[in-house]
Amino acid sequence: MTIVDLMSEAKMNVELRSKAIKKGEYELYNCFQCMRCTSGCTSMKLLELKPHQIVIMVKLGLIDELITSGIIWTCAMCLKCTERCPQDASPSELIIALRNLAFDLEANVPEVYLKVVSAILDTGLIQEEQKVTSRDFEVYDREQLNLPKISRPGEVFKNNLLMLLTPEED
Amino acid sequence: MEVGVYWGCMILTSQYAYEVSLRTVLPELGVSIVDIAEVSCCGTPIKNVNQKAAIYLALRNLALAEKTGVEDLLVPCNGCYLSFSEAIHHWTKDDNLRTEINNLLMEEGLKFNGNIKLWHTIDFLHDKIGIEKIKTAVKKLLNDLKFVSHPGCHILRPSTIVNVDNPEKPEKLDNLLRVLGAECVDYPEKLDCCGAGLLLSHSETALTIAGLKLKAIKNLAVDGLVVSCPSCKIMFGAKQEAIGTIVGEKFEIPVLYYTQLLGLALGLEEKNLGLELNQSPIEKILEKIS
Ligand code: SF4
Ligand code: SF4
Repeated sequence: MTIVDLMSEAKMNVELRSKAIKKGEYELYNCFQCMRCTSGCTSMKLLELKPHQIVIMVKLGLIDELITSGIIWTCAMCLKCTERCPQDASPSELIIALRNLAFDLEANVPEVYLKVVSAILDTGLIQEEQKVTSRDFEVYDREQLNLPKISRPGEVFKNNLLMLLTPEED
Repeated sequence: MEVGVYWGCMILTSQYAYEVSLRTVLPELGVSIVDIAEVSCCGTPIKNVNQKAAIYLALRNLALAEKTGVEDLLVPCNGCYLSFSEAIHHWTKDDNLRTEINNLLMEEGLKFNGNIKLWHTIDFLHDKIGIEKIKTAVKKLLNDLKFVSHPGCHILRPSTIVNVDNPEKPEKLDNLLRVLGAECVDYPEKLDCCGAGLLLSHSETALTIAGLKLKAIKNLAVDGLVVSCPSCKIMFGAKQEAIGTIVGEKFEIPVLYYTQLLGLALGLEEKNLGLELNQSPIEKILEKIS
């Protein structure tokens, strides 16, 4: 027997659930739906993210819906839910695990996240050194501010990062 | 005292005022900075796509820091501070992960031993250097100035992993302001997030989140907002005008790094504190101080 969500026809996916749960450390099954996480959630007011619902959906195995819907990317990562959860269910860590799963399965990952990853692979940092403008419209770079040159990682770093980002076969 | 500093991407590539002010202020307090070569991103953005890769980045940076021989590592960015703390947490309790990462580090002749002590700007100044030492070093009291502080999320939560200050009632940044002679008021929105985590993917929402906090601060009629995280500074400082447009409000709230105010109180020159780089209208504060 399997659980089917009658609103969306969504089906439980036990295999994906165990992948999502394996990826993190949290007491998912201790969640008693008190909604303390959601009551203080930064993204609730504007994006309708409800971390307690994420937790129950994972418990029900509705993983496909979560990783394709985009909702897991609305979390601001303020970590209030994880701090305040009385049951150590760590909703924000669960959201990270779901994001990781979405990346592995090439599901719905916002383009900007992939861009940052390729910038880190290219340069070691999230972006190139920027020129900044002062309040009186002078333009400065690090050198003009007497800041030392940026020292960057080499090839071994890049290869290892690339290797780790390649999904494991199982 | 020697301290290693891991600056992180945001500070190294754009938030220069934080770096300039720390490089000016720390030597005045008897601290010399050791820069760490060949470091990369701390791992925070990578955590969204692959947590193990993020841990590798963090531990590699920490191994490079240990290699310099310093015992203390200052991590001025909240995001980097959490990333490193989390990585150490996993390294300590997961044997398989430890072996796997050790092998990767070995390819560069690196090893993480877990001996380095992490500090964020707030607890480094408050607890390591100490309030008393700062008090005696102050040359110009910042009387007549009233601030609110924004300590930020990732140095407070989750408190099982980071503990720079009390997660529900942080006071160290306020104490650090008071020791400079300034007044610092508590406010209900103090723990509210700056929204930076959504800036890339949901920028309008991110700006609105910051805007709700700026509205609350505007109503308090304080002289300024004090931060100690590059992401929070971008949101409340550089993005302040854009935020005003989105939430339909005119903001003129000076936003400063704590280290800039500390520098002013130590009697240091404005040009050595990166003050010309603040995008918010900080002239009002500078006038009151001089
Ligand atoms: S995750 Fe924690 S805070 Fe949220 S509903 Fe479950 S038990 Fe309550
Ligand atoms: S970490 Fe995400 S889910 Fe948790 S309270 Fe913050 S915004 Fe909400």
